[in-house]
Amino acid sequence: MTKHSIMFIDDEKIVGDMAKLSFEQDGYEVETFLDGESALARLQQKRFDVVVTDMKMKGIDGLEVLRTVKKLYPGIKVIMITAFANLDVAIEALRDDVHDFFPKPVKIKELKASVKRALGEG
Amino acid sequence: MKIEHKIYLSNAVNIVLIVLIGLFALQNLNEILTKFRFIVIAEGLNANFLEMRLAEKNYFLYGDDNALYNIRSRINQTSDTMLQVRNDITRAVGAEKYATLLDHLHTYDQMIDSISKSRPRDAEAQKKLREVGQKLKTFSEDITALESSRIDAIIISSRNILFYSIWTVVLFALLFSNLIVRNIGQSLRKVVNLTRAISKGNYPKIKEKPSNDEMGAVISAINSMAEELQRREKEIVQSKRLASIGVLVAGVAHELNNPLNNISMLAQTYAEVYDGLGKEDRISFMERVDEETERLRVIIHNLLDYAKPKEQHLARADTNQVVQKVLALVKNMLDISNIKIKLTLAENLPDIYIDEHQIQQVLVNMATNAIQAMDRGGELRIGTRYVPDTDEIEIEIADKGKGIAPEFLDHIFDPFFTTKGDSGTGLGLWVSYGIIKNHQGNIRVTSQIGIGTTFIITLPSCKKLKRCTDDEA
Repeated sequence: MTKHSIMFIDDEKIVGDMAKLSFEQDGYEVETFLDGESALARLQQKRFDVVVTDMKMKGIDGLEVLRTVKKLYPGIKVIMITAFANLDVAIEALRDDVHDFFPKPVKIKELKASVKRALGEG
Repeated sequence: MKIEHKIYLSNAVNIVLIVLIGLFALQNLNEILTKFRFIVIAEGLNANFLEMRLAEKNYFLYGDDNALYNIRSRINQTSDTMLQVRNDITRAVGAEKYATLLDHLHTYDQMIDSISKSRPRDAEAQKKLREVGQKLKTFSEDITALESSRIDAIIISSRNILFYSIWTVVLFALLFSNLIVRNIGQSLRKVVNLTRAISKGNYPKIKEKPSNDEMGAVISAINSMAEELQRREKEIVQSKRLASIGVLVAGVAHELNNPLNNISMLAQTYAEVYDGLGKEDRISFMERVDEETERLRVIIHNLLDYAKPKEQHLARADTNQVVQKVLALVKNMLDISNIKIKLTLAENLPDIYIDEHQIQQVLVNMATNAIQAMDRGGELRIGTRYVPDTDEIEIEIADKGKGIAPEFLDHIFDPFFTTKGDSGTGLGLWVSYGIIKNHQGNIRVTSQIGIGTTFIITLPSCKKLKRCTDDEA
């Protein structure tokens, strides 16, 4: 059975590093990016099953990543993380068919459960 | 008195004057007409009297009965005419003169009667008749001449009076309109000054009791508008302050949540992958936790530092000297960034009353922003000037940098708003704004993408503040 692949996008390097350690231990294939541009470029080359993205980033932000992914690769599930606890943003993300939405600080267990549900394993 | 009433009054006065002049002219014209009619009649009578005298002469020379008959018919004719135009004559010269004239005529008639009866020529009677005839003719001619000269006098006096009355009316009209216009003009100037002040954000009420006219109504309307504006401005400032606290809190949440999340994820992962970690890895984990904690500490320290209400140490200062000191502070940065400085400092600026340290902080902050906006070098322009209208000093800091997008311009004074990414705290302009507001000043900004940004700081001069003594004093 092939590994599920997850893409993490967050301008906080620790988020990607920790997610990689934690998720790889659970048998996922993980790639991390510090900005939206490089992540979207990578998506053109490789198909991921789940994209976990931070909301507020310089340049292409989380909402734009969500919209682009949903437009170009509708099959990919997108999970949003944000340090900006703002209901309006969450609602906007929901309209754009976000799979799940986590405010920071994130519980990794909950994030993993959400990824599983996204992959239809929950 | 209302302006409306003043105008009515001045019109009424002028109308009364014009009617009086008209009535006077009318009366004079009537008098002239009466006298003129009399003169026409009198000329006729005079002609008759002349004819009588001629016929009288003929009668005495030739004893011609025809002449006598002629005199009789003239007398009758004159007598008839005088009866017919009795009113006209009486009106012109009075009943007395009319009676005298009639009396003379009767006497003449009787003399003619007696002479025609005493056929033998009576030299004495002839002489008497001549005298009476002469008297009749002279009297008639005299009153005619008198009335003629009276007409002349009336016309001259009418002409003079009309001439002066026209000037009087004109003067009155000018005087009244001048009074009203000056009154309106003064009030309008007050209104203009008032609205100008209001548009500048000042609310100087006109304190004197507004006059009881339309302009007074306008001024009290503007006064109450200014009060209302002031009240609303306070409300807006209040709600902006609340909104600013909201933005601050949201910003703080975001700033704190990121390192918190990092620590949380480090801890969670540490526990999860603990068995697979070597000693070095574990140390690295803990170091990263420590780094994130430090990051939190710095944020909280900055926040406390900015939030702490600082005591102001106000003192008289010279704006240009403050600017020079700031330049010395940023000179190094300017040199490194290859930025030229262009100073336009106005001379003889009134002093300002400031906490110099705080104002320096603001100017350094602005200069730093400008330098950062010109990462490829350029020119930093700093200018000072005095604005006499408002008694304020303006300090202008302009760069030829990237410029700020219009959608960001409204937010640059918000806490935690930054266009500089990680290199900015987003607090510099927010704090600067607070400092300048505490100094009763203001900051304006204009910016165009690709052309540059200009900040203008306004501070009240000592002249405006009126109390400008040093803290120590």
